[in-house]
Amino acid sequence: MFEAHSINAEHKDLIHDIAYDFYGQRMATCSSDQFVKVWDEDEHENWHLTASWKAHSGSVWKVTWAHPEFGQVLATCSFDRTAAVWEEIVGEGSGPGERGMRHWIRRTNLVDSRTSVTDVKFAPKTLGLLLATCSSDGVVRIYEAPDAMNLSQWTLQHDITCKLPCSCLAWNPSLSRLHPPMIAVGSDDASPSNGGKVFIYEYSENARRWTKTDTIASINDAVHDIAFAPNLGRSYHTLAVATKDVRIISVKPLPDSAANGQARFEISTLAQFDDHYCTVWRVCWNIMGTILASSGDDGCVRLWKDNYINNWKCVAVLKGDGTSAQSSDNATSATQNSNHTAVQPALSTTRYQRIVPTISMMAEMDKVIQAPLSMNSKKYQTSSIKGRSNKWVMPGIPSEAYFEPPPPNIAKSKNKK
Amino acid sequence: MNTPRLEIQWSPIHSNKFITWGTEICLYEIAPIKDTVRPSCIKVSDTTVAHLLATNSSHNYVKCIDIYPIAEPDILLAVGQANGRVVLTTFGPTAYDSLGLTGKELIPKHARQCNAVAWNPVESNLLICGLDKYRTDQSLLLWDVHRTTSNTERLHHYNTGQTDSIRPLAEVAISETVHSLAWFNNEPKCSVAGVNNKHLKIIDFRDPVKIVNTTAAKSVFNLAVNPHNDYHLVSHIDNLITIWDTRYFEKPVLTLTQARPVLKVLWCPTRHNLLGSLQKDSGTLHLHDIQHYGVAGEDAEPGALERIVSPPWTTTPTSFSWHPTHVNRLLAISPQGLTDYTVYERITLNWSTRSHLVWNHASKSYKYICSNDNIYKGLNDISILSNRRALSGYGLLPELSQNGELAEDDTLKNVWQWLYLSRSLVEDGTIPSPDNKHPGVRTVLKLDDPITSTFITKSEIVHRPWADIGSNITAKTYRSADRDKALQLCGWRFEKDTNAPYNNLFLERLEREGAYPRATAISVFNLCLRQAIEILNRGASKMSSSANFNIVAMALSGFSEDKNSMWRELCLRSRSQLSDPYLRATFAFLTADNDTYENVLNENGMAVEDRVAFALMFLSDNNLYEYLQNLSKELCEQGNLAGMLLTGASLEGIQLLNKYLEITGDVQSCSLISIRALSPTLLEENQVQVWIESYRNLLDAWKLWTQRAHFDIAMKSSINDNKSAVNKQMYVSCTYCGKNVCASMQGIARTRGPFGRLGSTSNKLKMTACPSCRKPLPRCAICLMHMGTVSGLQINPTNSNRNEEEGKLTEFNDWFTWCQSCRHGGHASHLRNWFQQHSECPVTSCNCRCSSLDASSKIKVGAT
Repeated sequence: MFEAHSINAEHKDLIHDIAYDFYGQRMATCSSDQFVKVWDEDEHENWHLTASWKAHSGSVWKVTWAHPEFGQVLATCSFDRTAAVWEEIVGEGSGPGERGMRHWIRRTNLVDSRTSVTDVKFAPKTLGLLLATCSSDGVVRIYEAPDAMNLSQWTLQHDITCKLPCSCLAWNPSLSRLHPPMIAVGSDDASPSNGGKVFIYEYSENARRWTKTDTIASINDAVHDIAFAPNLGRSYHTLAVATKDVRIISVKPLPDSAANGQARFEISTLAQFDDHYCTVWRVCWNIMGTILASSGDDGCVRLWKDNYINNWKCVAVLKGDGTSAQSSDNATSATQNSNHTAVQPALSTTRYQRIVPTISMMAEMDKVIQAPLSMNSKKYQTSSIKGRSNKWVMPGIPSEAYFEPPPPNIAKSKNKK
Repeated sequence: MNTPRLEIQWSPIHSNKFITWGTEICLYEIAPIKDTVRPSCIKVSDTTVAHLLATNSSHNYVKCIDIYPIAEPDILLAVGQANGRVVLTTFGPTAYDSLGLTGKELIPKHARQCNAVAWNPVESNLLICGLDKYRTDQSLLLWDVHRTTSNTERLHHYNTGQTDSIRPLAEVAISETVHSLAWFNNEPKCSVAGVNNKHLKIIDFRDPVKIVNTTAAKSVFNLAVNPHNDYHLVSHIDNLITIWDTRYFEKPVLTLTQARPVLKVLWCPTRHNLLGSLQKDSGTLHLHDIQHYGVAGEDAEPGALERIVSPPWTTTPTSFSWHPTHVNRLLAISPQGLTDYTVYERITLNWSTRSHLVWNHASKSYKYICSNDNIYKGLNDISILSNRRALSGYGLLPELSQNGELAEDDTLKNVWQWLYLSRSLVEDGTIPSPDNKHPGVRTVLKLDDPITSTFITKSEIVHRPWADIGSNITAKTYRSADRDKALQLCGWRFEKDTNAPYNNLFLERLEREGAYPRATAISVFNLCLRQAIEILNRGASKMSSSANFNIVAMALSGFSEDKNSMWRELCLRSRSQLSDPYLRATFAFLTADNDTYENVLNENGMAVEDRVAFALMFLSDNNLYEYLQNLSKELCEQGNLAGMLLTGASLEGIQLLNKYLEITGDVQSCSLISIRALSPTLLEENQVQVWIESYRNLLDAWKLWTQRAHFDIAMKSSINDNKSAVNKQMYVSCTYCGKNVCASMQGIARTRGPFGRLGSTSNKLKMTACPSCRKPLPRCAICLMHMGTVSGLQINPTNSNRNEEEGKLTEFNDWFTWCQSCRHGGHASHLRNWFQQHSECPVTSCNCRCSSLDASSKIKVGAT
């Protein structure tokens, strides 16, 4: 039976994000234990923890690498309402034969948000050293480091207000000069009556500002993650959305639409899969944008591939514990729930019947180690928040409500066009 | 309430037992599912079943239950009843019987409903119960179950008629209703109670005053202490869940407003700060992850991540219970049954450029798969394929057709072969095409000519006889100079001017490759029936598997031109049963009516070049035009690279490549075909530039620097036709005179002056001074020799690859290398050796960490 490789995580609480660097040889992880860890791969393909530091005073939601052209640079964002930029430097200590220890220092702390910062992403390197953050009060901020050699200076360039709390954002990685810079933002607002939950913003060179050019109206449920596929020169952009199901959306720029005021894009849903039961948490593309990976409430990682023009199929299912649930051939049937009606007449105490899912990961997990409640008295830079509501649902992280009936035994439609 | 609410609770001391109670108390054991499910088992999940071990129906008005928290093989329950009595009971005879605990009743002074009962987690003999209000009586009673043992005679636990009352140790809460209560885990004498719908009270039984802290709170139900932090409490009322900190008890630290009334809220014992709640008439389980629970400053605002999961239970559960030790496992109960469910932690995942897919398994470990794994191989990921092709030098071999061999893909192989063919045709002058090395059939036929969209040269009709069957029947074919050239592009070579003679080399090659049906079809299309039959016979003798070649040959030999012959009729009927497309096409051609060759032209199993060649021979100008238009449109839509034959290296060809890219993601082939085949002007196309950029990006991410350098060279050389060479980006100049050291060296090398033999002599001459001002060059920081000396001993001076080295002035090892930051440097090989072990500059007083400035170079610092 297939078993995935395993690395001991060494985080004391939930892990929220894992990021690879440009070459795929370094890995950064972040967690609710407020720590960020960096892992390096050695020549024998073993991973070693090379740095670990307390980065924030709240859960760290996301971590992301800048292009190596800018150095070894990370950005993180946190529930503590800040985003931070980190750089790895070699220490100045000069012992005999000293090779210099590397460590990470905070280059800047971006404190503009008044609520939890839910996502942070570096722009494609062609745009320069740009950083976009979004927060749960619905503001997307674009920062720029005017001097790539000085990472401690970031200026807030743009401040875009979405109407809804933002949970995730993605830069369009297209290299084409014909496409203006583009950002897609997802909201985890749960109420379908608030309309579409994925917004597309484009930078207009003439107006020198970001404008919302489209909303994907077909997605009304909370969105937890979005990812643009690497474009490679395709004539359309492919966007994967993690909402209550996995959606694959094509966003095709229409020619000459800016002039006559028509829709900028032709937006169509290429595929939609509800195999993850009720919630999909993360989506991620491979390097060429041909295979999509998603994770969800069923505790599985699923891989999706386009076999021929927009004929998306599940090609693999991996359980969370690293075993392969099944091969690609019977991937469909594997998610079907058993629908057992067990009547037990022998003791005749009660009649029970139930539907149970295909769940099997639990037994071996150890007790979670004590996580530090952040009792430290670090004050926030921001003043108090107006209009605090009692319920503080932090939308940054995949966690949202659906009022849905429990899933019936699932006869999956594999592939809705 | 007619039916009492169903409740459920895991045993705190057994990992596989739980109790449920409603009208009666049941004890279950949970076990992994076996192949044969006994009828006495209840399936609670796909992998577990519950066995009913025992029931206890002797208590009819059960209001609340708590399980004795001491690890014993048996379970002792404290049952709070509607009449206010708390009964200790077990399932059948147990070890507790001898202790006199079983069947003991703790009776309050006045009968009223018992709302809550709780064993002390530390001093296990202590038990508190909370009662409804009764005049001025106390409603919160502390009992010591051991204390009165001596006074009480042992009774069987079924005997409920015990009247000998035990006095409580302490009594509090005069004329108040106790709704819920809980012990603190670390303070054995303290408990907290929710009273009178308006207060939470902390009671310390060591203190005579007893109430040590109190707060006004409406939410008094399901009060619970965080198992991981004694300061934190949770309680609820209606649709509000409130979280309290006992150090800051005036007001709740967090209030979570829910959409519906809350039924039950519990701390998860295995995760920190996680609450689970059930809501009325809602089939979902709500998880509240309390974030940043700071109380130190006013500004530290806590929050909660809400997550909703829909476990697969059939109906709305009435209650649930977290497993005390198994992570995130819970049991839920509803009138329809039990559900054993484990909440999965959120999984985050990422995919690296080197095709590692990683995700987290809870917070314990990361799992990853990489491209070597079997499961990954099954994905047929184009990025793995591209990486392998890039490593093999795909697309950069000088001979175009060799690249096809590397691709290990038939379509790509055909394209590269066609590129080779078209280039050789253009280069030997067969097809005059000055600016496009790879003209397509449409270009050759001047179909795309902007001035006239139809043929410029009209074709003549030639009636060609069937040469080798000795009949005088002729077939109508079309000839023109353009058509002949186009035919050559299709690989169908004609001898000039003669009618039939067909280049037999081509057919022989096909036969060698075992493509007998194709050779047959091409012979027949060239009206050489006898030759076709011979090919088939040879094929039949060589390949035993497809023995029906003989039969096909037999059928062919009966060819008759007569429109009404039986041969024709039968051929038409059985043609569709032939599995080979070429054989089908052969018969379709022989039986065709009135020069309509639909069945041949639309035979999709035939290679595009054969279909086009056939059309070039047998279709009239108008039909040919229409056919080619439709075919190229169709192929472009399919992204079929065989369409390159029609479009050639043109704008349309770029569209075709783009479609191919959109379907396959194979940006590598697209950019390589572009740089090898497209004219410099077409290379400027935005789309092509994006492919090239994307591919270079891929090579960068894979750290294939060498391949990327070769790619760049190939790209520049394809533009070089009309542009100057790549500009030099770096010069080595003399510190004294400022003249370019290399430039003058090159000059010397070229003029074969005094240093002309530099490159070829085995014992290299030293060039340690600036060629123009004769001042010495700087020294290498390692060996302290002047630059220009060789960096090491030449082990094998008379080496074999002299040819490659001929063009270079000096070996790379001896070349200048320096740090961009501190400007120190020396021989490349010396510095490389130095920085394998050091990160600091070799120059004594310089503290520059030269090598660590380059992000992509990794030194093994502190690896062990």
